[in-house]
Amino acid sequence: MLKNLHQKRIIKLFRYDPTTGEKGYYDRFEVEIENESKTTILDVLFQIQKTQDPTIAFRYACRVSMCGSCGMVINGREGLACKTILGNIKRKEITLRPMNHFPIVKDLVVDMDPFFEKYRQALPYFDSSDDNEEPAVIRPDSKEREDIGLSTECIACGCCVSSCTMMYHHPEYLGPAALNRAFTLLADSRDGLYDQRITRIMPSCYNCRLEFNCTDICPKEISPTRAIKYIQRCALKEPFRQTFQDSQTVEDLPAIEKQVKENPELSRRKFLKRATYGFGAATALVLGGVLASATIGPSIRKAPKQWLRLGRLAQFPPGKVKTISVQYEVIDGFYKSQMVKPVMVYRGPVTNPLVVYNSQCTHLGCTVHWDETKQLFLCACHGGAFDINGNVNAGPPPRPLDRYAFKLEDGDVLVEMG
Amino acid sequence: MQEDLKIQYREPLSKGELDENRWRNTQVGMWAWIWQRISALAIILFLGLHLTLTYKPVIQFLLLMTVTFHAVLGLRVILLDFNIVNVKYQKALIAGLAALGIVLFIIIWTRIY
Repeated sequence: MLKNLHQKRIIKLFRYDPTTGEKGYYDRFEVEIENESKTTILDVLFQIQKTQDPTIAFRYACRVSMCGSCGMVINGREGLACKTILGNIKRKEITLRPMNHFPIVKDLVVDMDPFFEKYRQALPYFDSSDDNEEPAVIRPDSKEREDIGLSTECIACGCCVSSCTMMYHHPEYLGPAALNRAFTLLADSRDGLYDQRITRIMPSCYNCRLEFNCTDICPKEISPTRAIKYIQRCALKEPFRQTFQDSQTVEDLPAIEKQVKENPELSRRKFLKRATYGFGAATALVLGGVLASATIGPSIRKAPKQWLRLGRLAQFPPGKVKTISVQYEVIDGFYKSQMVKPVMVYRGPVTNPLVVYNSQCTHLGCTVHWDETKQLFLCACHGGAFDINGNVNAGPPPRPLDRYAFKLEDGDVLVEMG
Repeated sequence: MQEDLKIQYREPLSKGELDENRWRNTQVGMWAWIWQRISALAIILFLGLHLTLTYKPVIQFLLLMTVTFHAVLGLRVILLDFNIVNVKYQKALIAGLAALGIVLFIIIWTRIY
């Protein structure tokens, strides 16, 4: 005999009496199991019912995880009682509690009517579409068949709905089980109820927040999250699909479809509607484009350069650097502003060539000033220094001082700013 | 004849109600969902702090951390939404993208300082 994890196990069972109608409480039972690796929670419940308390209530039918009747919350995790083996539970104390989000009938039994009501809302049945070839052939290796995969194995146990916290926050949410079933039929090309089904489930499919609780606990290892994501992607395509204009009940729909096909008036109206929208959209685009370019155009256009007078050539003695403060107007988009900038004029020795330096330091743009004693252009910000020819002498500047274009006109020195 | 007993169903339990194991069995997917929401609130708080008290490296560090965290989890949601990554890899995505997030965080932080 295999050694059990514990000698005795403590079972805490949720009790609720429908005749008294109080909040419910936990009953404590002690059980001693011979071979834990071959005992399920359902077996434990049978033992308690037979030997200790015959009044406990729980659901079961097949006992082999095929019917989905025995869903409950075992130590905080949803699962089937007939599938959960005692030997796999490490904790000595086992808490058994009914599933969430369903009204409790008695002890571990919940009312599954709300579950099936939501299931029905998603149209969980197959209705062949009119234009199916007989027999309809879906290849096993087709994308459609692989997409659906094993999601059809759902046994409607309700564990996924119990584990999803969104069911509590959104009472109208159809839930993972209903949406999973809807997915298996939406992905099926033989089915003819796509429009009705997608209309019913689309508002609800956005309530999934990717908690993945449903995928984690499903006893059949189905992923309702995968199904819901598929539905959300279908919803993206919805506005571009041909659909019926009005939403009718399922029985009326074939009649409407016939009406649309036979009545040319309806299709003429459709054409006119489309033409009006199309023309309106085109007008809006053209007008919008013109207005937009008029609005932002000035800001993209480059400001024109201007020539400014610095002074007479004689004012700049050779071998010396002179700093002149220039004032000019700048138009930036719709904004006119006055700019005041210093420029340094250096007239070199021998042939006396003229150079007009930009006072902006090439490191991060601070203003440099000419230091006569050190014979350097100094930048106060980070310690940059340039020699008299504008080359970098010290500090972080990466390149020499920029120069302005200039010209001589009738003995005047003019510099190009802007 | 017995009188009909008055039967009253109990209000549905919500997840974690009357359950002492409520957080014990929470899987990593649910944690990712919770942390995404918490980090969103943290970003609002740190952003407000950062805009009022600028140039403080501590606040900048915290803000960058929460933004990277939130961005990494958000990327996971986008990848799962459009089926770029199959839903069965959702746990692996958390680990993988978290590693990417840490690398990016280190790169960005060392570039600034």
